[in-house]
Amino acid sequence: MTLARFRVRWIALAFAVVLVAFGVVLAVQTRSEPSIPRLVLEHATAPQLHLKTLDGKAVTSAQLRSKTYVVNFFNSWCIPCQQEAPALKSFYDQHKSEGDFAMLGIIIDDNAPTMRGYVRDQGIAWPVLVDPNGSAALDYGTTGQPETYVIAPDGVVVCGTLGPSSVTVLNAWLAAARGGQQCT
Amino acid sequence: MTRGKLVPWLALALVVAVGIVVLVVRSRPDSSPAARAARLEQQLACPVCEGQSVADSNSPQSRAIRDDIPRRIAAGESDAEIRQYYVSRYTERILETPSNSGIGIVAWGLPALAVILGALSIVVAVRRWSRAPRLRATDEDEDIVRRARAESEAGDVHPDSHPNDEAPGDEDGA
Repeated sequence: MTLARFRVRWIALAFAVVLVAFGVVLAVQTRSEPSIPRLVLEHATAPQLHLKTLDGKAVTSAQLRSKTYVVNFFNSWCIPCQQEAPALKSFYDQHKSEGDFAMLGIIIDDNAPTMRGYVRDQGIAWPVLVDPNGSAALDYGTTGQPETYVIAPDGVVVCGTLGPSSVTVLNAWLAAARGGQQCT
Repeated sequence: MTRGKLVPWLALALVVAVGIVVLVVRSRPDSSPAARAARLEQQLACPVCEGQSVADSNSPQSRAIRDDIPRRIAAGESDAEIRQYYVSRYTERILETPSNSGIGIVAWGLPALAVILGALSIVVAVRRWSRAPRLRATDEDEDIVRRARAESEAGDVHPDSHPNDEAPGDEDGA
């Protein structure tokens, strides 16, 4: 076998190995759905809010400065949101009297009249904001509902989840946010 | 070159020039806000579905993005800035085409690499084939040729006849 042919065979073999390795990498790649929001993973600053409540009161990020606050994206037709509602109510009742605490619901993909009825029926006492063109949902990078975010007094999104949360988890997140800790 | 010979070349040059102008004009993207919005909707993937662009999807996120794009265009944001905003919210998975940096280079680079490797392989193969020795004449072949020439020079054989042709008398075994 000549030297040139020997070299060509090695190059062909190396090329084949690279191709097979690439194929194996592609084949074993699994796309898992994350449960931690991107803003939490990146320790990002919470997007600015300029929305109105269902009864027309303006809510801005400036009003929330120096507070630890919870933002919950939800709507009336989402079953996990309905299942999560008792936990949110219990959590809110535990902390609503604390001066450095706030909680906001932001409507995602639902209309105000339906939501007014839902809020009344569910006994939701925290401010529920209308996001008419979905800009707040986009700023948070939501991928569904419910989604919950906990924002520390310095404005950083420290904890959160894609999907329903529980009282225990929410309390742990609140403590972490107040203690200057990240959940990730 | 005479004028008569020049005319077809001029006509060909004119056709090529018109073709180039048409291509350049037609390939220039429409920069109207509506066209930009439509283009961006096609370039962005629905963040919560599989295999659908924002333009095709009816998910709440896609509808919100469709509402949001014209507002950003009206606010003076460039197409790149608008794409970057959505990437910052939904990662590069929201882009229908891979970016030209990071891992996206692999997607752009692999086809180009394959074309270059293919072209190189063809060049190497053609050069090798052209260098490969042709069929060499065996001693037997050369002997036949030598005999044919000798017979031709002696005038025994007609130049068009084959050297292996048997003489007419041979058929009888004479």
